[in-house]
Amino acid sequence: MDIFDSPWLINMLAKSSKTPQGRLLGLFDILNDWLKAPSFEQASVTLGAANPLLISYCIEQAKSLGAENPELLAEHIVLIAQNAARHAIAQPDSNSLIHAKKVALALIQAQTQQSGVTTNIKGSRSALYGLAASMVIVIGAAAIWAPMFMHSKTAQAQLAEQDQTNTSINQNKALTAIDASRMYAKYEQMRQGTCQFPEVLQIPDEHKSIYLENVVGGKLPNDLDDLGVANFYLEKVRCNFTPMLMAASK
Amino acid sequence: MSGLREKILSTASDLFQTQGINSTGVDTIVATAGTTKMTLYKYFSSKELLILEVLRTGHQDFQTWLNDKLSANTKHPAEKLQKLFDYIEEWITAPDFNGIGFIKASAEFPKEDNPVHKLSTEQSLQFREYIKQLATEANIKDADGLSLQLSLLFKGAVQAEQMQRGSDAVKYAKIAAKILIDGSLTR
Repeated sequence: MDIFDSPWLINMLAKSSKTPQGRLLGLFDILNDWLKAPSFEQASVTLGAANPLLISYCIEQAKSLGAENPELLAEHIVLIAQNAARHAIAQPDSNSLIHAKKVALALIQAQTQQSGVTTNIKGSRSALYGLAASMVIVIGAAAIWAPMFMHSKTAQAQLAEQDQTNTSINQNKALTAIDASRMYAKYEQMRQGTCQFPEVLQIPDEHKSIYLENVVGGKLPNDLDDLGVANFYLEKVRCNFTPMLMAASK
Repeated sequence: MSGLREKILSTASDLFQTQGINSTGVDTIVATAGTTKMTLYKYFSSKELLILEVLRTGHQDFQTWLNDKLSANTKHPAEKLQKLFDYIEEWITAPDFNGIGFIKASAEFPKEDNPVHKLSTEQSLQFREYIKQLATEANIKDADGLSLQLSLLFKGAVQAEQMQRGSDAVKYAKIAAKILIDGSLTR
């Protein structure tokens, strides 16, 4: 009898857990119990034999747990289960199915962890320091700016558009409580990350004080015109919000 | 003289891996190697002895290659264990990879009293012992359990890759191996 090809096994798997991961790992517990049962005498576990029923059931589970390559995960897990079952028959004391279950869990984790997560964590600390350094340089450069810096016509043109929208929506030039709270939310967000805006050197002179006071300084703008300008630059600043704890943990 | 013996061995090895051991006849081997049955039987008195010799040579080559790679590129025992699957990946994803001899042989000769099956089981055990030794040197408490886990992972990945080339099986096995090794290091 080949247990791997039996509808009984699928039924047992379906009952074994409420989660797809549990149902995949249940394979190893069921085989372990089955091989240890007193009625068990001589099992023939055919290596490499096709088990279309079991494979397709495992593919379904692998899909619902979000595996990157469900077919491969299912195939690999069934192969490991077959090898471990043969091993268990040859050496009943080896606990091979229990070890095989750990291997299957590691494979599930390998297929469900976000690709590139590890490299992000690795690089984040140095990246954070790099960004922090560039922020200091940018603020320093902005604070001691000289008239030699170029004016940017495109920035002015875009600002003019933005100003128009802002003023047409709000007839009153005074800041409302909602505007203020929005600005404070933005400042708060900026404080949680490392931000940079190298193009600051090219902004028009008349906007530089607004940028320094209302974007870098975190001071609320005096009126809606200034708010529009500050908002425009707030959008331009690029912030890296890698959590500090995550960056420091590596 | 020995050049001809090597030629027969490497030809048989290629044919066994690509076409299967049972389905490759002696006639095909001598025709491909450009020799005669008489010569083949002079060096290997039976097909079974030829198969056993192919397995021995193949396993020796794999182990030597792996050992050389690990000794040349790593210093610490823990590092060797981590690097193991990197080199296994290099071996398996090489364009001329046709499978691992002992894994293929144990599938083709399932009967336990068969000499080919016996040798492939022995080689599988040797490989596991090799992993266990690396794990012991890396101060892992349950070196025996980890070596069983890693050899199950390895065997399954090779089988999956043999079924379908370019399956990414080793790519995920490598990540899983790291999870298992890290887990047993902290225990």
